[in-house]
Amino acid sequence: MVYLDYAAASPLLPEVFNAMHGAETRFFANASALHTPGHLAMNEIEEVRKTLAKLIGAKPSEIIFTSGASESNNTIVRTFAGHQIETSPLEHHSIIELADKVSGNKLPKLYSYMLANNEIGEILDIQKIVKEARSLTTPKEDSLFEPISEWGKPLVTDRRGAYVHSDLTQVLGKIPINVYELGLDYATFSAHKIGGPIGVGALYVKEGVPFAPLIIGGNQENKRRGGTYNTVGIIGFGAALKKIQREKSWEQYNTHVRKLRDLLARRILTEIPGSSLNTDIAPGKSLPNILNASFQAAEGESIQLYLDAEGIVVSTGSACASGDIKPSHVLMAKTGDAEVAHSSIRFSFGLDNTEADIERVMKVLPGIIDHLQKISTIRMKET
Amino acid sequence: MENQEWIYSDKVKDHFMNPRNFLFGDEGQFDYDAVGTVGNPVCGDQMKMYIKVEDNKIADARWKTYGCASAIASTSALSEMIKGKTIDEALKIDAKAIDDYLGNLPKHKFHCSILGHQALTDAVKNYRAQK
Repeated sequence: MVYLDYAAASPLLPEVFNAMHGAETRFFANASALHTPGHLAMNEIEEVRKTLAKLIGAKPSEIIFTSGASESNNTIVRTFAGHQIETSPLEHHSIIELADKVSGNKLPKLYSYMLANNEIGEILDIQKIVKEARSLTTPKEDSLFEPISEWGKPLVTDRRGAYVHSDLTQVLGKIPINVYELGLDYATFSAHKIGGPIGVGALYVKEGVPFAPLIIGGNQENKRRGGTYNTVGIIGFGAALKKIQREKSWEQYNTHVRKLRDLLARRILTEIPGSSLNTDIAPGKSLPNILNASFQAAEGESIQLYLDAEGIVVSTGSACASGDIKPSHVLMAKTGDAEVAHSSIRFSFGLDNTEADIERVMKVLPGIIDHLQKISTIRMKET
Repeated sequence: MENQEWIYSDKVKDHFMNPRNFLFGDEGQFDYDAVGTVGNPVCGDQMKMYIKVEDNKIADARWKTYGCASAIASTSALSEMIKGKTIDEALKIDAKAIDDYLGNLPKHKFHCSILGHQALTDAVKNYRAQK
């Protein structure tokens, strides 16, 4: 199998599997318990907290473990329910759909902008958003600033007119991150995009900023997120984080993976008529592991499934594939062309991919596209 | 449908991997009497059904599709099902009949079989209009 869907989920790393396997029997106890087995489990969790904090330039107390990126995103958007919420059109559904439902007119305002998009890999100018957020006037009073100690709500010492959240799910490990230097107040992370298990994520919440817990009913995470600790999952997340830190994986992404991605991009453009890139592959413009391309007159789900039959795994922004009515909102926002969106394929790479994988793809992809273009109702545009 | 390895039924897979009666390339390659069109590339699906009629029967059919695996399989299946049938018999082959023939599409893909039926209906309408 040639796996090119790392941006959706990455296979569990061997060291993650080993760490989790050992933890299943050793750290089974409830980590909130005061007895020794519980305490030992909590020690492991705190180690992972420190690892993530160090990797992103935060304090351990600013990290909250969650069930994944969607929960992390939902938590921050809900914190600002009734307030102005501005998002980029490229955000994940767990941000834009909820923001549409709960946003209002109050200040402080929330800006939620990804650092890099998951479908086309585009890197956004977060500094511009941070600067804009800093220019907004602080309201004199607001419920988010109330010093009353409600469940899990921190004492807000950092009063501002706006705060910035960034979903860093796709970025972690791919490029170096420092949340302080980026000027972020909140950030979202997920384990399964970096070789960790599905069902574990984290939130960075800067000290002193407003916060409302999503899950109430337990003292876990300093009353900021109720629910028994997923000790084994968090330990798996930790093993994946340690690998990133130890190997400085962003350097390998910038060299090995970028080379593969760019090679595939060049070969698609030269060998497949009617192809175009939705990802800007110029350095600094996109994550090095994502390539989104469209194939004129060929529909994405069909391309995806013909590739699947050849043992090549990719994803598509076509509506048909997701059971949705509309194609990818990201590609629509970027191209404004539904046909381009329906005809798109995302190739997302991991550190294990090789040039032989590109060769395998290019051995079959031109034939698949040619077949679909020839049975298509859409006439190829003259080039 | 339980425990099958591929996302769709074996019949859908067969008609997707080995589509029957498609019109490859230029439309001029098939001597048809009428063509019906349904859908729109903007919606992600478009089908064309080309029919050759002799003695009020569908003597032959070809199709073109821009669409997903279910759309390709539905059109391919329909092109097999209508051959040799009288026009009225062919029109009775509705979305459910196509769906049954294919061993059932997933619920959210049922509309693909509706499109096939509509493309044929449009082709027959055009055929009758020009007579």
